[in-house]
Amino acid sequence: MILLQSHSRFLLQTLLNRVQNLGKAVELDYHWVEFDDVRYHILVSMKNPNVLLLSVSLPIPPPEAVFIGGLPFGAIEALKAAYGVVVQILDPPRDGFNLTLKLNLGKLPLDEEHRYALLLKIASVREVVLGAPLRVVLKHLSSRTVIPGIDGLLALVHRSKESFFLVPQPDKVTVVFPMRFKDSIDIAFATSFLQEFVEARHTAVLNNAPPCLWSPNPPLELKEAPAEALSANAGFVSFVIFPRHVEGKKLDRTVWNLSTFHAYVSYHVKCSEGFMHTRMRRRVESMIQLPCCYLLAGCAASALHVKFSWNGCLVGDSDRNILPLQATQVKGSYLVTHVVSQALDRAKPGVEEKKKSPNSRSFKRLSLKEARANSIS
Amino acid sequence: MATSLRLYLTCIRNTLEASLCLQNFPCQEVERHNKPEVEMKTSPELLLNSILICRNEAEKCLIETSINSLRISLKVKQADELENILTKKFLRFLSMRAEAFQVLRRKPVQGYDISFLITNFHCEEMQKRKLIDFIVQFMEDIEKEISELKMSVNTRGRLVATEFLKQFI
Repeated sequence: MILLQSHSRFLLQTLLNRVQNLGKAVELDYHWVEFDDVRYHILVSMKNPNVLLLSVSLPIPPPEAVFIGGLPFGAIEALKAAYGVVVQILDPPRDGFNLTLKLNLGKLPLDEEHRYALLLKIASVREVVLGAPLRVVLKHLSSRTVIPGIDGLLALVHRSKESFFLVPQPDKVTVVFPMRFKDSIDIAFATSFLQEFVEARHTAVLNNAPPCLWSPNPPLELKEAPAEALSANAGFVSFVIFPRHVEGKKLDRTVWNLSTFHAYVSYHVKCSEGFMHTRMRRRVESMIQLPCCYLLAGCAASALHVKFSWNGCLVGDSDRNILPLQATQVKGSYLVTHVVSQALDRAKPGVEEKKKSPNSRSFKRLSLKEARANSIS
Repeated sequence: MATSLRLYLTCIRNTLEASLCLQNFPCQEVERHNKPEVEMKTSPELLLNSILICRNEAEKCLIETSINSLRISLKVKQADELENILTKKFLRFLSMRAEAFQVLRRKPVQGYDISFLITNFHCEEMQKRKLIDFIVQFMEDIEKEISELKMSVNTRGRLVATEFLKQFI
């Protein structure tokens, strides 16, 4: 899966499950978190199995973002337009949540296809709520107008206490994401990924994609932004959206892609870290197998050679203090039986354990005593 | 292989060949002990001059020798933050499994990325030429692996970016 789906898979599964077993009264009380920022809660009680309460907690808005009654502007209208009569918005929402939806499962359309489409839409509640302001701006772009009352910069909530910025103009909208990551490894990966975005845009296939820029410093568009919003440790990415990117059905996709840009990059950064670890582990393992064969094979060869030339020589204890070169060869003849048998053993299958044993010795244990013990046996 | 890399590795190989003349030498302070002198550094008369081979500012190799042991420390090229992380992670993976490599040191010498310690016992047990081959091969492998890793991260980044931008067309 390269692209993120706009519906929450777990929410969709739960809803489908619930709808299929409407006759059975069960109690549901699920909490879960998506993309490290949006928290969901589902509640179904035994008393009233047809009613499902879905609560959503949004990321904490930064001071510069516009929030009306705990929701981004345009969210209530978007919810009403998307869900119609099936969903009721409870006011005030449950404690600790920004929005509580009351679903009446009895009122769902009976037609299988319509019902699935509606449930899918409910499962994409994140897109509807968080993407609402972005959708309003992009809708105006497609009719080449600007929302009255907004001039210059518009801040929208992105992640908890972080915002991204829009610069709406009649013929284009510039979207600027300050990218922040917690981990230093994430930062390095994300930085190289974001530069790839710029590179990829230059290829011929993506000629019509929105122009994309990355810079470590805040771009000129953010001149008026508050200072605390300008500290991004992975740089700033900006996309320039033209009317051709939001016409017709493309609007939904564009809204979703832009509002989950951070989650998308972060997801792939984590994936590629995981891939890197697997690869390194495999490589280290293959390198471990290599020196075992490598070093011992060399040893066996030298031992055979030494046996040839030093055969019949009497080797005593005192000889160990002679020249280093000779010492090597003398020791070689000591080892010969041991090593040759080892080299032969390795040709047989299932000798993994044996192979490891001579290589796992520490420095001190490779002593003279042991070598002699080998030669005696 | 780039010419400069070949020259660098040849130089290291020749230096190792010259300096790998180790002999058994018991500890002078403690009876019945036999310690790698290059690590202990207790008696200066047993230490030889250390040799520093540099390919460029970022890549160098320090060879320290003593009567019964030799220590090779490598610094691997780290052009950017990403390479730095990849190198650190990969070499940490290797050092954690140092016992499987016999001559690998668990911790690198300060200022270097990875260190090997070869003692006279290693030289006796294994053929000297093969040991040098192994070290040079190891260096080549590390370099190759890191550049491959970097390439794969970049390729992945490109794919991710392309798929994302395709959504807008």
